[in-house]
Amino acid sequence: MTATPGLWPLVGEGEAETAVWCYDNRVPGPEIRVRQGEPVRIVVENKLDEATTVHWHGIRLPNAMDGVPGLTQPPIKPGEKFVYAFTPPDAGTFWYHPHADSLRQLGRGLAGALIVEEPETIPVDRDILWMIADWRLKPDAQIAGGFGNAMEAAMSGRVGNTVTLNGAVSNGVAVHAGERIRLRLVNSALARIMALRFEGHRPAVIAIDGQPCETHEPVGGRILLGPAMRVDILIDMRGEPGRRYRVVDDFYDGLAYWLTELAYDSNPPLRKHSSDAPLSLPRNPLPEPNLDTAEHHVLKLQGGMMGGNGMMGMGMMGVGMSHGAIWAINGMSMTGDGQADMPPLLTLQRGRSYRLTIRNDTAWWHPMHLHGHSFRVLRRNGKAVPHHQWADTVLVSPHEAVDIAFVADNPGDWMFHCHITDHQASGLMVVLRVT
Amino acid sequence: MKRRIFCLGAAAIVLAGPMPAVAGELIHATLYKNPQCTCCEGYAAYLRKNGFSVDVKPSNEVAEISREAGVPEKFQGCHTMFVDGYVVDGHVPADIVHKLLSERPPIAGITLPGMPLGAPGMTGTKASTFTIYAVTKDGTPPKVYATE
Repeated sequence: MTATPGLWPLVGEGEAETAVWCYDNRVPGPEIRVRQGEPVRIVVENKLDEATTVHWHGIRLPNAMDGVPGLTQPPIKPGEKFVYAFTPPDAGTFWYHPHADSLRQLGRGLAGALIVEEPETIPVDRDILWMIADWRLKPDAQIAGGFGNAMEAAMSGRVGNTVTLNGAVSNGVAVHAGERIRLRLVNSALARIMALRFEGHRPAVIAIDGQPCETHEPVGGRILLGPAMRVDILIDMRGEPGRRYRVVDDFYDGLAYWLTELAYDSNPPLRKHSSDAPLSLPRNPLPEPNLDTAEHHVLKLQGGMMGGNGMMGMGMMGVGMSHGAIWAINGMSMTGDGQADMPPLLTLQRGRSYRLTIRNDTAWWHPMHLHGHSFRVLRRNGKAVPHHQWADTVLVSPHEAVDIAFVADNPGDWMFHCHITDHQASGLMVVLRVT
Repeated sequence: MKRRIFCLGAAAIVLAGPMPAVAGELIHATLYKNPQCTCCEGYAAYLRKNGFSVDVKPSNEVAEISREAGVPEKFQGCHTMFVDGYVVDGHVPADIVHKLLSERPPIAGITLPGMPLGAPGMTGTKASTFTIYAVTKDGTPPKVYATE
């Protein structure tokens, strides 16, 4: 797989192609499909003119394969190669992206899906991937500069103006009445949070961040998808042949738009009655944390605009920030690609269960991602989270406290950071060490 | 509901073109703000008490709108307003906006960088002098327009 500059028709026919950075000359990068428990070997060649790495987001792999420059590997310099080799223990929907110069490399298009197939698939008519990306384009369809804007970093990050589905603005996705689709949703945006509704349809969530959950309908039919999150849904095409149904994203107040439409062909339904049997996926071999003996820590997310007592300017005095950070976790901040010499925020004993309370003391949303592990999402503001949910990236709303738990079974130094990339690069990033 | 949001920033600039201000009546302003930032509403409320009618529009691209309007990144305020052909960035006091509209200098507009405590619409107590800069579109560095 080669990281390279390229051109891609993001906004469609008749419009200029957009200069992007991409894998194998396409956006998104190649859809990599592998089998659960079978070794994978991927050679990444860097044809960019700056160093890169690849992070296999959500895969529980050896630390040296995690793709964090300076922390788990030397950066892949221009013209060099790096061999990633691991055996994915979990089936599910994962993805890959750089962990170097993340704002520009991810923001210019370096991302792709990594799908780990179950040994036996569930009975659906089609298994479809939607990589949803967000771009800030100028009127000539080229990517606007201004990455790392300090005001945006202190607010909701660089949210764009053009949302693409599998690398292009989508006018519709062809579907047939009566079919059952497994739809794998991946949010590969730098900063855009999405809340998707499928008009006229009732999707059921079967997996979150690759990890199966109890099959359930999302609250209000709205699927919340922060940057880096994945949700697998089952959706029965119960619409009328020939009709079109919108897929709406209404996360930001006053800025709703439609992502695409489900465009039914005129053929009669595939079957008279779609199966009512709720399908669920086989569980992955995740160690269940022991909540009776788990050690508890509080991780406070701090900083940003409107932080603390009403308002904060830039720079944020008082929480011990360094490197010009705008954000911090318990007063510690890594910025940019990270500082490998910074001590870990927590040192965890290998094999031990941990419960972490992620307490958002800021006025902004944060999708918090832990490398090398998946964790149970236990409670939000003290209230139990239903459906036995696991995640590797948990969306924490302003002033919310989310309890997670996991077994620290994977040795190494692991990043824990916000996946709103501007926040990550400006301080909302620390290392947790498993010894 | 928008079909897609491609080029919203560019469209916003066009929409925000000069509007006639009529003496004795409210001066119309259009204010672009982050949909999740609440302090900008405080500034709009302040302006409404000081002779303006303010149309508040949420946008995820305030930084880009501000840059396009001529405000360099280091001089950006947290929201961007267009009034009578000028850009006014950040929590600029109303008397200075009125001064701008009566003097009508040949500039793109004015900005109060950042979110200083005690500025109109902000909480906190004013800790130091506010310096409002004049910005242009020709690339010349911002100059001090007013202090308060």
